[in-house]
Amino acid sequence: MTVKNKNSTLSDRELFSIVPYNPKKADDISDTSYSYWKSVFYNFSKKKITLVMLGIFVVLMLASFILPEVGKYKVDELVANSDLAFINPNSEYWFGTDNIGRDYFCQVWAAARTSTLLAILVATGQTILGVLFGLVWGYVKKLDGIFTFIYNIFDNVPTIIYLTLISLIVGQGFAIMAVSLIFIGWFGTALQVRNMVIMLREREFNTESRCLGTPVRTILIRNLLPQLISVLILSLMLSIPETIAMESTLSFLGLGLGIDTPSLGILLQNARRYFIDYPYLLIYPSVIVSMITLTFYMVGNAFADASDPKNHR
Amino acid sequence: MGKYLLKKLLLGILTVFVILTVVFLLMRLLPTDCYFTDDQLQKLSEADKDVILQAAGLKDPVLVQLKNYYVNLFTGNFGISRRIMAGVPVMELIGSRVGISVKIGLISLAISIVLGVAIGTVQTLNKDKFGDYAGTAYTVFINAVPTVVSFSLILVIGTMVFNLPTTYSGRVHPVTSLIMPVLCTALPSISGYALWTRRYMVDELNKDYIRLARMKGLSNGQIVIRHVLRNAMVPMVQYLPTSILFTIGGSMLVDSFFSVPGMGSLFVQAISKYDLDVVQTLMLIYSSVSVFGIVLGDLLMALVDPRIKLNKDNVRTR
Repeated sequence: MTVKNKNSTLSDRELFSIVPYNPKKADDISDTSYSYWKSVFYNFSKKKITLVMLGIFVVLMLASFILPEVGKYKVDELVANSDLAFINPNSEYWFGTDNIGRDYFCQVWAAARTSTLLAILVATGQTILGVLFGLVWGYVKKLDGIFTFIYNIFDNVPTIIYLTLISLIVGQGFAIMAVSLIFIGWFGTALQVRNMVIMLREREFNTESRCLGTPVRTILIRNLLPQLISVLILSLMLSIPETIAMESTLSFLGLGLGIDTPSLGILLQNARRYFIDYPYLLIYPSVIVSMITLTFYMVGNAFADASDPKNHR
Repeated sequence: MGKYLLKKLLLGILTVFVILTVVFLLMRLLPTDCYFTDDQLQKLSEADKDVILQAAGLKDPVLVQLKNYYVNLFTGNFGISRRIMAGVPVMELIGSRVGISVKIGLISLAISIVLGVAIGTVQTLNKDKFGDYAGTAYTVFINAVPTVVSFSLILVIGTMVFNLPTTYSGRVHPVTSLIMPVLCTALPSISGYALWTRRYMVDELNKDYIRLARMKGLSNGQIVIRHVLRNAMVPMVQYLPTSILFTIGGSMLVDSFFSVPGMGSLFVQAISKYDLDVVQTLMLIYSSVSVFGIVLGDLLMALVDPRIKLNKDNVRTR
């Protein structure tokens, strides 16, 4: 449209004059303004249910970080007192007390905090390592064989077995757990990135870029990484519930975090013994942690949908 | 095709050896006190311990031990348990545990394939209607809620509503005490099978030959059962051998949740009691099971669908 108007005002001489090179104009190909992140947030906020989920999630996260600090009892200051064992939930002990008479309210929220903190750390670490190695794995053909072999070594045996072996050899604790979960888990992300890179590597825009002499580093960061964002967000978001599940399984088996660290697995392992008479021991931690993982899962899915450029416009 | 399978098999065997060697070397980093039971630790003096370790060959240089391990392995000697059942050969110990794990595993695998495929089919037939959303909600629940929590839920419902025994006991309640372990093993894989069935069937439904069948006047049900389901099963057949073989390994969480004396609890015990030869043999089983499962799966897929030619080296994603 704009071209027509210009045509009428330009003389022949002006039409055929040489335009000086302007890198800004050369890059500019779209006719309307488009911002990737604006579209992401616009698409994300279209669905009311995900916004409600996000709200619940934020409230739960805030609660798990604030409540253990401001409650009547603090996790670090709890003392065992068998006289106070198995008190049903009341105004003093909101979630009751456990088998050795410790306030359950602060333990449950502290467990939720431990689990989410670990999960966020692990998911971030896995994604960073996964992207770095996945880009190289997919782009450099020579390395494909050796990377695939290493991947198979980790993939052939269930993850939980490696994690138990690590806990046997290195020991138990929050930091060890975080490092070993990252170490085992980043292969999944790397494989996803690798498969995407292999698909995109021989596309025309990349071949052209290579012909123009763009260095490999720039191709990886400028051409390939933006295409991967929605996949990465999905794997980042989904690995959080997975990590919480893995941590609670290991702790339940007695191979994860130490008994003194309040965590979902430890609480449930303890509750497993007394749940018939005192079901609240099982219910409170289950409900709260499930709500965190459930909202995270659904918000993650919605956000990944919104961040896929194919769904924009 | 033969060449492809052979290459895959050889690479797999190499993988098994790398895993075994790494685990072996890592296990030798542990302090030698781990090799004794608590009882022995109290009674034995340092000199006694040395004598026992010497006799068991655990004082040799690590590489000599590794060589001995492989020599023993190839002559069919898997070593003896040191701490779980002191002195009992590992194979005998595993033999006493594997039966119950395979039983639970196979029953729940059968249930999850039948139910999973059925749920997936119902979801496809009711795409974007209530049936589909209900199935998706189930998948979301399974994926998002930690396994320990969903097991606890089953436990509470099972004991409070149906009055099932809380732990497995082969002698007292051979059938009723099996229900909850089987259910817990099946629950996640039902959702897996349903998810994949739905995805492959929806993919298949959009293809041209289905449109042709519809134009010829076939009913929706006929199309789904005669054409779509058969074609959608092909990619799922690939995972069948792995699933069957993995029942040998049992499930660590199910075993410990319901006190099942199976392979999963054996591994947890072996790990927490530092029983070297048991851990080593279990690692051998886990890794070779998955290598053979993958090769068998590829073979089976090529047999089921003659269009598939195995020659590309694809990394399996699951």
